[in-house]
Amino acid sequence: MRVLVGEDETLIRLDLTGMLTSAGFEVCAEARDGLEAVELARSEQPDLAILDVKMPRLDGIESARRIIDERPIPIVIVSAYTETSLVERATEAGVFGYLSKPFREEDLLPAIATARARFSQLTAVREQVETLAEALAARKVIERAKGLLVHVGRTRAQDATAGERHLGPAER
Amino acid sequence: MNVLIAEDEAIIRLDLKEMLEQNGFRVCAEARNGAEAVELARTTEPDVALLDLRMPVLDGAEAARRIYAERPIPIVMLTAFSDRGSVEKAISAGVFTYMTKPFRETDLMPAIRLAVARHTELLAARREVGGTAPPKPIEIGLRSQSGGLWPLRVQRRADGSLGVVVDGDSA
Repeated sequence: MRVLVGEDETLIRLDLTGMLTSAGFEVCAEARDGLEAVELARSEQPDLAILDVKMPRLDGIESARRIIDERPIPIVIVSAYTETSLVERATEAGVFGYLSKPFREEDLLPAIATARARFSQLTAVREQVETLAEALAARKVIERAKGLLVHVGRTRAQDATAGERHLGPAER
Repeated sequence: MNVLIAEDEAIIRLDLKEMLEQNGFRVCAEARNGAEAVELARTTEPDVALLDLRMPVLDGAEAARRIYAERPIPIVMLTAFSDRGSVEKAISAGVFTYMTKPFRETDLMPAIRLAVARHTELLAARREVGGTAPPKPIEIGLRSQSGGLWPLRVQRRADGSLGVVVDGDSA
């Protein structure tokens, strides 16, 4: 499990990194601002990100939005600010956790665990939606193939041999 | 938004209720144990449930599982225990968010709002899956000139190609 940490305050970043490392996570990247977080998410491809809201250049929520747009991963926001407007922005950005500072290890680890689990769940259902959309498209092709077969069958049923036939790419 | 709270300790329950009401939520049910929570979830149909993990009669994780199975809603688990086992138990019961006691209003409110939002997305995606049926193989019976029946099956192979299977000449 590779984690990206985005936090501009060195002490908190160290603390966060320490908590994660001792819990068995690999901190693969440490960003000091939101833009750096986006860049590191791109180059390091972490499995999860923990981002502070107030960061220079780009705030953590906008950073989360860009990271998720490029490649969806579970993101947990950490912030001293918990106004509804901020939480709503974070929600819209697609994050899976919002922790208020100061937080303890016993807040962080369950937040990571639930974020990962619910992210995978949602991703799995969305993949299923895509697969079904494809399957539905295939169904239309099958119907067309069925029509063709009935036609071919009527004229050539007598000398057809038992076995399997492939439809060529033109028929798919 | 209607919230069910299940907590066996009266003081914490009162505290929770006040916190929620100050933030614009309506507490539609208060349960003192897990079994009561399941029952009240059925009768009051809340939008969110906050459940304590350690409760008499039926624990919070089992209550969460039953509530979710009857009618999926976002569930927030409140507990003094943050060990891996407890967290995993809650996650597999369908719990969306896990809050370690003691927690503050600033911990709980974002957690509830986020759980509601993500859970709504999950339900929407599930509805989409439910609305589209997977393709079934198509069975066709072909009548040969001699009068025999040729059962044919058109289906999608594992590699995605379409295949035609002739089961055998029944003539």
